[in-house]
Amino acid sequence: MSARHSAGLIAAQAALGAAILAGWQALANAGKLDKFFFSRPSDIAARIVQWVRSGSIWPHLITTIEEAAAGFLLGAALGVIFGFALARSPKLGALLDPYIRLLNALPRVVLAPIFLLWFGLGIWSKVALGVTVVFFIVFFNTHQGVRDVDPVLVNNARMLGASEWQLARHVLIPSALTWVFSSLQVSIGFAMIAAVVGEYLGAARGVGYLIAQAEGTFDTTGVFAGMTVLSAVVLLVGWGVARLERWLLRWKS
Amino acid sequence: MSAIAFEGVTRRFGAYAAIEDIQFDVRPGSFVSVVGPSGCGKSTLLNLAAGLLAPTSGVVRILDQPLDGLNRHAAYMFQQDALLPWKTVLGNVALGLRFRGVASRQAEARAREWVVRVGLERFERAYPAQLSGGMRKRAAMAQSWIVDPAILLMDEPFSALDVHTRHRMEAELLSLWTASPKTILFVTHDLEDAIALSDEVMVLSAGPASRVVATRRGSGAAARSDRYPHQPAFRRDLSGNLVQIAAGSAGEL
Repeated sequence: MSARHSAGLIAAQAALGAAILAGWQALANAGKLDKFFFSRPSDIAARIVQWVRSGSIWPHLITTIEEAAAGFLLGAALGVIFGFALARSPKLGALLDPYIRLLNALPRVVLAPIFLLWFGLGIWSKVALGVTVVFFIVFFNTHQGVRDVDPVLVNNARMLGASEWQLARHVLIPSALTWVFSSLQVSIGFAMIAAVVGEYLGAARGVGYLIAQAEGTFDTTGVFAGMTVLSAVVLLVGWGVARLERWLLRWKS
Repeated sequence: MSAIAFEGVTRRFGAYAAIEDIQFDVRPGSFVSVVGPSGCGKSTLLNLAAGLLAPTSGVVRILDQPLDGLNRHAAYMFQQDALLPWKTVLGNVALGLRFRGVASRQAEARAREWVVRVGLERFERAYPAQLSGGMRKRAAMAQSWIVDPAILLMDEPFSALDVHTRHRMEAELLSLWTASPKTILFVTHDLEDAIALSDEVMVLSAGPASRVVATRRGSGAAARSDRYPHQPAFRRDLSGNLVQIAAGSAGEL
């Protein structure tokens, strides 16, 4: 941790980024890189500034974040419920096991057109896509967390007088949530990706839609600007999630 | 009247008989130790008394009633750490009261008294991972005593501690017991401890099919008046005597 945050390293990381951008800019200015295909860092920055100034970026960004958040929350809730139920009922688990594996083996991208057909161009087709991604991550983690709970903890709680519900509430679900929390980064990241992929394939709004629009008009500056905004948001969300995770799992230290 | 009675209790795991035809009687308020080589079924014996296991044949009686399901009159201190890692010391100690439907504020107030009694007042907001092994055992002790059980089952609760801490914990256990006499069934592989602590020592033969090969008076009864440590001569005597018995029938202790 201290090594990652040392001032020297941060300076070196910033220098590397600056060098790459400067090189890109210089090559594009000198005509070695075709601006039509590669754009220029200065153009990309100007585009982002223009988006922010005019405010045109916000509806897209908010839409994408809404889709990702809804997909994550719904997928996580379903994942916890099913993961818990199947872990506590081995028969049901055994019955559904092949189907869950089958569904999980499916590349989610192929579902996107079907969801478009079912749920339309609005946010729900993207939420549905996000749910299919997040559900499985949370489902498997919950399942594992409930089944892996230390039997001593369960016996101790039962000897202290826990009812089935109290056992679930104080022992099994917290144990499962430990696993879910530690996969929070991955599942929220995937929810973002699902939202953008969904928008990319058909939407009227969102950062994915913005990038697809720019591509459609060979506007490479727009594509890169969209990518930059998206990466920045994902990094920011990731940082927030890491802090949240640290707080939720504060008892682990 | 007896607190715990085993009447011809046998427990098999598949073809393996862990204990066979066990017969004994524990008077209410007495401190009985069970010693024997590892793998002799000591833990099986406790789990049967706790109702976590059902006998293959024979009857376990608790306070003269045949035991069916969990033993509601007993608390259990496990060999492993059984505190919930995601709850603070206070939350863990209050657990038994919460399970019995005591309101959270009231449960916390009573838990706080117990936290003070076991000397953890400065750590009531700490999580188990932040405590030393000895402190975790103190918390576990408070957790099982707070519900004021008639019977306390202890499975080598201090075996993971260093000798010094172990002796301190044992002294504390004795002082708690002096203040509020409960029936204690204490499993250990340490004969010295067994003799020092208890009114009565029960020696199990090596498994499989362990049986009670001897019962002797311990010096614990004396400890109730003049506490810990006890008369060394008496202890040595008894210790030698028991080792002979055990060596004769049970192999190495």
